[in-house]
Amino acid sequence: MTRWLGLAVATALVLLLGVALGSVPLRPGDVFDGLIRNTGEAAVIVRELRVPRVLLAFLVGGGLAVSGAALQALVRNPLADPYLLGLSGGAGLGAVLAIAFGGGSPWAVPIAAFAGALIAVALVYRLSVVAGRRLDPLVLLLAGVVVGSFAAALMSAIIALSDAPRLRNAFLWLLGGFSSASWPTLALFAIYAVIPLAVLLLAARGLDLLALGEEPARHLGADVERLRRRIYLAASLLTAASVATCGIIGFVGLVVPHAVRRAWTPMHRVLLPVAFVGGGGFLVLADLVARTVLRPIELPVGVVTALVGVPLFALLLRKSLA
Amino acid sequence: MLACHDLVLRYRNATRPAVGGVSLAVNAGELVCVTGPNGSGKSTLLRGMLGLLHSERGTATIDDKDVCQWEPANLAAAVGVVPQREEITFPLRVRETVLLGRYARLGPLGAVGLEDRAAVERALIRCDVAQFADRRVDQLSGGEWQRVRVARALAGEPRALVLDEPTMSLDVRHEMEMFELVRELADQGLAALIITHGLNLAARFADRILLMSDGHTAALGTPAEVLIEPILSRVFQWPVAVTTTPDGAPQVMPLRRPTGAGAI
Amino acid sequence: MVGRTTWCDYPAEARAVPDLGDGIAPNIEAVLGQRPDLVLLYPSGRNAAAAERLRSMGIATVQLRTDLLADVTRVGALLGRLTGREREAAALKARFESALAQATVKQPATVPSVFLLVWAEPPMTVGAGSYLSELLQRGGGRNAYDDLPTSSGQVSIESVVARHPDAILVLGDSTPAFATRPEWQAVAAVRERRFVFASGSQFAHPGPRAPDAIRALARSLVALP
Repeated sequence: MTRWLGLAVATALVLLLGVALGSVPLRPGDVFDGLIRNTGEAAVIVRELRVPRVLLAFLVGGGLAVSGAALQALVRNPLADPYLLGLSGGAGLGAVLAIAFGGGSPWAVPIAAFAGALIAVALVYRLSVVAGRRLDPLVLLLAGVVVGSFAAALMSAIIALSDAPRLRNAFLWLLGGFSSASWPTLALFAIYAVIPLAVLLLAARGLDLLALGEEPARHLGADVERLRRRIYLAASLLTAASVATCGIIGFVGLVVPHAVRRAWTPMHRVLLPVAFVGGGGFLVLADLVARTVLRPIELPVGVVTALVGVPLFALLLRKSLA
Repeated sequence: MLACHDLVLRYRNATRPAVGGVSLAVNAGELVCVTGPNGSGKSTLLRGMLGLLHSERGTATIDDKDVCQWEPANLAAAVGVVPQREEITFPLRVRETVLLGRYARLGPLGAVGLEDRAAVERALIRCDVAQFADRRVDQLSGGEWQRVRVARALAGEPRALVLDEPTMSLDVRHEMEMFELVRELADQGLAALIITHGLNLAARFADRILLMSDGHTAALGTPAEVLIEPILSRVFQWPVAVTTTPDGAPQVMPLRRPTGAGAI
Repeated sequence: MVGRTTWCDYPAEARAVPDLGDGIAPNIEAVLGQRPDLVLLYPSGRNAAAAERLRSMGIATVQLRTDLLADVTRVGALLGRLTGREREAAALKARFESALAQATVKQPATVPSVFLLVWAEPPMTVGAGSYLSELLQRGGGRNAYDDLPTSSGQVSIESVVARHPDAILVLGDSTPAFATRPEWQAVAAVRERRFVFASGSQFAHPGPRAPDAIRALARSLVALP
């Protein structure tokens, strides 16, 4: 109980901090005024930029952590990452295509990245169903690597062959960031994410069984194939949407579930909600660092999560081995 | 309760069936052991009887209903299974692990009710693991872990219990404890099926033994009917002697190769 | 002149010279095929290896930094020496410097602050020590991010809001796609479509057309509301 309370307080603090601090230093009074009144520059910065940005980072971080936790149980490997299954390659290819050929639409890049990720998900799914017939975790991983590498190769080919040096900037977009956060983006992501998140949270008990392995899960009453399909699709769709909104942000989906398993429990009924809140808070903090540490320059948030996530992960690894 | 009739099972692309027409029935209150050499089709038979493999011929039924017609959750509620191997990827605590045995009976949204908690506690006590219910399962000894897995199977309050080599790599005490427990459960009305290499354990605890050889039934009957020297020597291709314990159960003793004949 | 990079597009006659590919990490075989006496390279890490290869094959190779306006006359003089046409180089230098001085706006009435947006997703700008910033300054404007600690970098939209740029310079010749994105509406200059367009390679790298670029910028800045 105290742990839940602590988590709630910490989350509220992180959210507040995310709104209070930014690349423009604002006095706490101005931030408060900006939140409740509708006028002035502080109001524009706080309401139109910071609040949606912080909320979007929270949702995306939570979504990535939940997807990561679910996929780790699905493939029974604590090192699985939400991007492992070919998603990032597909999204990158889509983004590069949009930047190379996409015309004037301001949403061309995210839409193309989303489409690319979905195609990759569908291909990986097809491949592993044909090969293993039962969505075998190992086949799924291999299919993910195959599709991801192929998409990455296509992406490199387009960048090498294209006569637009600006395509190199596609990598900047892929590195991830929340600079394009706004209320409409937030609303779109939130509405979209509700269903996959609900599917994953409701599958918590099933995930406990899948984590035991296929035969034990079956004997305990899990409809393994249906469960795997549902979890794979929900986690992939959630990750695809986050790639489309803010590029590829690594390590949230890896480190957060791992930390919660160690510090709290591997039971998915608790693990998933705690990982959601923890992942959200982690990403809000990472984004806060990204936009303030070198201001006015902003770092790609994926760089920050890696810089924080890798040492943290190494530490956890040492501890769990000791 | 658990039954198969003339069951033929074949793995994909295999030229020969792994199980070639076996019939067996395990009734409530009965403990049946399946034994036989490595590769004789024991585990395959089990998979077929539990509906994990589709039969090529013959039937596998539970409560006289084709096992493949059962909903996974209903099947799990009726039959508790302790599979042979299980790797621990994400170590839960003992009580949490046992609770997973209630999966098929949980309420909507996976809610755990009072009845579920009571069943878990009963299973913990039943298998003598309650004293370390809050320990993580990766910190248990082999014998403790096996008992936890039996408790998990019992938590679902099944009418049949199936164990695949439950005493593999257990010492004498834990081996005996495991069989005593299953025997007790069978006496209380459970239908129990154990796959085992322990001929002498089967001899002392089983009501009936199915001896398999090459996917076929080599012998089926009471221990005294099945565990006789000519059958065992032929099936295991090794000379054995059969004696009797003071309580009347046959005991199988494999013989040393006669000196001088070792140069085969 | 026996070869050029894909990006060398001025003057129009340049297109008649064989295109030997990218300027960074050039295709050595294609360069050798043209049997050049002298190879000019931009000094980047990947070009250092190429320069080493070319020199080891006995071809004179020079790496020239051409980032800023001052590099134009410096490189001009250097090339004059290398090709033995120092007199022509000196004349060229004088011509360029006077054209530059003429194009430069002296004592502008107001100095509008301009946000130099070189890439929109994510928003990237350039600092004071950049060619685009030099052009802007000579054209009578001020770089809104002249305090940027690096030559270029990603900035957050809220800092753009707080700096109140009078206009946004974009590379291109029409209203950019990002102008309709919701998050950018927080910036007044975007809402009011106060864009300055910089289109063409004269804005991308320094060269003899820099005075034209400065004049174009100056016209746009004066025309701002």
